[in-house]
Amino acid sequence: MPFDTAARILSHDALNSDHFLLTLDAPRMARASRPGQFVMLQAQPGRDPLLRRPMSVCGVAGSPPRRLQILYKVTGHGTRLLSRQPKGATLAMLGPLGNGFRLPARASGPRAAARRKGVALPRQILVAGGVGIAIFPFVAEALARLGHRPLLLFGARSARDLVGLPLFGRGRLDVKFATEDGSRGARGYVTSLLEPLLAADGPRPTLYVCGPTPMLRAVGDQAQKAGVPCQLALESQMPCGIGVCLGCVVAAADPNAVPPYPRVCTEGPVFEAGSVRP
Amino acid sequence: MKKPATVATARKPAPVDMRVTLGPLTLKNPVLAASGTFGYGTELQPYFDLESIGGFVSKGLSLKPRRGNAPQRTCETAAGMLNAIGLANVGVEAFLNDKLPALRHKDTVVIANVFGETRDEYVAVAKRLNGAKGLHAIELNLSCPNTERGGLAFGVSPVLIREVVADVRRAAPDLPLLVKLTPNITDIGEAARAAAEAGADILSLVNTFLGLAVDLERRRPVLDNVVGGLSGPAIKPLALYMVHKVYAATRLPIVGMGGIASAEDALEFMVAGSGAVQVGTANFYDPRAPLTVAEGMEAWCRARGIPRVQELTGTLRLPNAREQETTAG
Repeated sequence: MPFDTAARILSHDALNSDHFLLTLDAPRMARASRPGQFVMLQAQPGRDPLLRRPMSVCGVAGSPPRRLQILYKVTGHGTRLLSRQPKGATLAMLGPLGNGFRLPARASGPRAAARRKGVALPRQILVAGGVGIAIFPFVAEALARLGHRPLLLFGARSARDLVGLPLFGRGRLDVKFATEDGSRGARGYVTSLLEPLLAADGPRPTLYVCGPTPMLRAVGDQAQKAGVPCQLALESQMPCGIGVCLGCVVAAADPNAVPPYPRVCTEGPVFEAGSVRP
Repeated sequence: MKKPATVATARKPAPVDMRVTLGPLTLKNPVLAASGTFGYGTELQPYFDLESIGGFVSKGLSLKPRRGNAPQRTCETAAGMLNAIGLANVGVEAFLNDKLPALRHKDTVVIANVFGETRDEYVAVAKRLNGAKGLHAIELNLSCPNTERGGLAFGVSPVLIREVVADVRRAAPDLPLLVKLTPNITDIGEAARAAAEAGADILSLVNTFLGLAVDLERRRPVLDNVVGGLSGPAIKPLALYMVHKVYAATRLPIVGMGGIASAEDALEFMVAGSGAVQVGTANFYDPRAPLTVAEGMEAWCRARGIPRVQELTGTLRLPNAREQETTAG
């Protein structure tokens, strides 16, 4: 059940010139949120811009959780105004919304024992492109709780765009980088990091993907070819977030699917690769 | 120090009668949620009680389910948004079987929005809805392109308006008939008179204004459909003017809409001639908007000692007691 609240900004930090980390006081929403879900966040008090912005839940903090974190990049008018909101300001926020990622079973018993003996296990692989990283700290934390140690493949234009790594609990995951300019990790796209992993023998990995649309398409295709389970978190122009405007739809891969145009906000934002054409 | 209990001398504010009557239709308060912004009625139930507003209008219904347009379907603009959803909907059968039963026991007015690509389709949908239990009225969406007349929207031609309204009037004789006018026409007063003569009970206005958004870098339209409908606060003065014009042109009750986001907005529409209002795009950025508007209207009336909200309709005081026509500028 989503909540519509006025959330106070507890902290608002620039990670670099255009990436920001926002922490809001939102106890009910923080408690109810699951990895891969999102909130509709007002960019500033009042009606400019008119529509709220969909933002992945980056993480929750507190015990029980009461703070909700959002990592975003300034890409236009709304996010620019949002980036100017000071600590203490209050923003309307609606959430948690959407389906979130399907998470694996707890790695326990024989699997955990096998891991201790150094046997290869199905790997949970997080594939992030650019600010798509925002969705993954929450996912990584949930996977760690379930006894998994995920691998993060993080691609971006340049080393300066590889933000948010301190949000991942230390020692909870392995990381490989790819940058288009080669300034950190492999030169090129994140798909080049994934290719050898999908070709390797051993248990099939599971992929969780978030990033720009061309990357979602490329990774989704790679996963389909390799026969590997893969969940894509989509982004969309999303006026309402609650399933009534029908504005945020994506085309289903099968033109006879029901519905033919699933709503990213309600049937998504997470879809199985191959089920939609982002 | 504890205050002594004294006899209250403050005037107890008199309750405001929020009921409005529009021809055959009575609403508990003047606020309806607009078609296409409220799903099929149950989607916004987590946010407020449907029974606290006058009613709602369903997503437009066609005879068969419709897929709608390919994305991108929406685009934010200054103080508004463009949409080209393409009339995606579950179809009239699914509405009757899967959606309407959940609303039957709600003490609020349920209005089905109806459209068709042909006169026959309008008639078929209206026939199917006539007599449906729990349905209180239908609203004709005249902005649908007429595939038999080269895609011209029904609502831009007084001749087509007359034909389709008369057809639907006969097909659904038991239901109050709202006719929703498009503003994309030279003289909306003429469209209003055509609908009135053909048997409309109530006029609702306005639908969205046609608009275009351009992706400059790619030199392409932002919307896959190229053209979209503009809604939101950006269109409020345009819509108010249309209500003003239609109020002068017909005697039919008016449901006004166009960028209403606050009680004051809604009250301005009433003063300009509306008997009730619809809240639309505001639902997208504030899912409690219809409730906030309804409560605010009551508070506004109470603060001014207005006993019945209906008294406000058409009370615009014109200079020299005459209508100022379009000589501005």
